[in-house]
Amino acid sequence: MNLAWKDMKKNKVRFFIVGSIIFLVSFLTFIISGLANGLSQDNAALIKDLPKGYFYMNADADKTYNLSKIDNETQQHILQNEEGAVAFSIQMGFLNDQANKQHSVAFVTATDSEFFAQVKQGEVLLDSSLQDKGIHIGDSLTNNQLEEQLVVKGFVEQKKFSHAPVAYIHQEDYTHMYRVQEMQLVFIPNTDVKEFTGLQAFSQKEFLQTIPSYNAEQLSLNMIIWFLVVISGLLFAIFFYMMNVQKIGLYGILKAIGVKTIKLFKMIWTQMLILSSIALALSIGLSQMFSLLAPNSMPFHLTIPAMLQLAIVFLVIGFVGATISGLQIKKIEPLQAIQRGEA
Amino acid sequence: MTVLAIDDVRKTFNNGEVAEDILKGVHLALNAGEVTALVGASGSGKSTLLTIAAGLQQASNGEVIFDGHNMTDMSAEQIRQIRASQFGFIFQFAHLVPFLTVEEQLLLMLDVAETTLSKKAQLQEVDRILVLVGMSHRKQAYPASLSGGEKQRVAIARAIIHRPKVLFADEPTASLDSQRSKEVMQLIHDMTKELQIATLLVTHDEEMLIYADRIIKMTDGLIN
Ligand SMILES: Nc1ncnc2c1ncn2[C@@H]1O[C@H](COP(=O)(O)OP(=O)(O)OP(=O)(O)O)[C@@H](O)[C@H]1O
Ligand SMILES: [Mg+2]
Repeated sequence: MNLAWKDMKKNKVRFFIVGSIIFLVSFLTFIISGLANGLSQDNAALIKDLPKGYFYMNADADKTYNLSKIDNETQQHILQNEEGAVAFSIQMGFLNDQANKQHSVAFVTATDSEFFAQVKQGEVLLDSSLQDKGIHIGDSLTNNQLEEQLVVKGFVEQKKFSHAPVAYIHQEDYTHMYRVQEMQLVFIPNTDVKEFTGLQAFSQKEFLQTIPSYNAEQLSLNMIIWFLVVISGLLFAIFFYMMNVQKIGLYGILKAIGVKTIKLFKMIWTQMLILSSIALALSIGLSQMFSLLAPNSMPFHLTIPAMLQLAIVFLVIGFVGATISGLQIKKIEPLQAIQRGEA
Repeated sequence: MTVLAIDDVRKTFNNGEVAEDILKGVHLALNAGEVTALVGASGSGKSTLLTIAAGLQQASNGEVIFDGHNMTDMSAEQIRQIRASQFGFIFQFAHLVPFLTVEEQLLLMLDVAETTLSKKAQLQEVDRILVLVGMSHRKQAYPASLSGGEKQRVAIARAIIHRPKVLFADEPTASLDSQRSKEVMQLIHDMTKELQIATLLVTHDEEMLIYADRIIKMTDGLIN
């Protein structure tokens, strides 16, 4: 007999309230997780879109890619010996459009590689967000450190670094602008970490942490997410605890007439599963809708795997919460319940 | 025929420093088709004896023999199985499951007792027993909408639907008025005869003793 379902049907309001709270908490968690991920994408899509691999910068650059200079000899050696290796540099800067309006961009230049867009000297390839700001293909842009103009050759989708649109430029132009011959970084895809004298290796995650603001942003958002997850677990624990306290007499009698304790646990688990499945399904649906309706300028990025992962965490936490509160059932002595009052 | 035999059962409770002997060597046999009434002053140990006999707590000493098997030697799970399938319980309060209808209460008991009846046979059994206790017309009712006497009738139905060999009733009429008490006792008496149950009845109410086949008086942890 399905005790769990009968109980829920008879006490609709009670379960509805808890279900709604679980729904709101999980929905909020999904939204914040979407924002965290969106911001992270906005902050570092350039890096995050690269395949799995390792980044290398000068060991004495103090984990600041800006201070890193990889000498030509090392760079040549790595590019020749490591398949797919690429050297690249990033500098935050400005481009002025034809109306002399300034746009903040992240200049990126790289050696020949499939992972970075290539342009000729005097040309620039921009992140498509600048297109929305009124820049068109063929426009000539200026930079005060560069005598020649840069002609917009085209746009790329979703390439951001440190919240700024990426501007791919040729290495010669880069050298003129920043007066450095050397590249800052080397990236080697699809390999284990390697040892090169004078260089320090970073996994993608480690490298992202070196971007100013990335860490601070993600840390606080992730903290909110995990707080919400833990809160929902506690909600389950407290809710079932209170329900169980009310039912101590009932459980005692049921145990006296021979109901197995595991049957009572199954009842709680089933209720928890029904409540969270409905709540999670609703919030998954709604957050997908939100991601469609959210304005383009809002960094919101929620993938199905990320959501499923969170949903599973919710279920596990709910299960733990319900089980902890169920432990008191184990302790109930049928005898005490019998001598008590009306049930 | 003796179904349940209580042999030299003793129970000592440790109330802090002092050990109190509540049962001091009780002998009692419960026979099929017989209502055995247990009377005695409050605190004389009636409920303690009933719960030990029913496997709800352990004796400090002595044996409880059910159907030839010594329950003192059994595991908790074995005793649970006996409680579920061979014993029936009625208490002062009906203790029904608040979110189940009358019919569902009884189906739950059949489920707990692990009957081999088919679904259809179970429903027929429920109907039959509800006629016996006079509650057929409230089959779909929830406990909250039943009167005290009606609840107790349902509790009796739940206690006997799985055809237990022993029925334990600890002051089943204490919360009912005298008219309802008589009806409930008549019912317990009739069921005991009809289903050949060995019934142990604890009661304070002398008026109820006319429904008993045998009256046992308990004084200070002993039966005389
Ligand atoms: N778990 C326990 N721990 C300590 N003392 C207990 C315990 N259970 C019962 N007692 C004591 O044992 C004595 C007998 O209790 P019991 O409930 O068997 O009496 P009773 O005859 O059923 O009384 P009443 O007619 O009031 O129900 C009482 O003094 C009670 O305080
Ligand atoms: Mg008593």
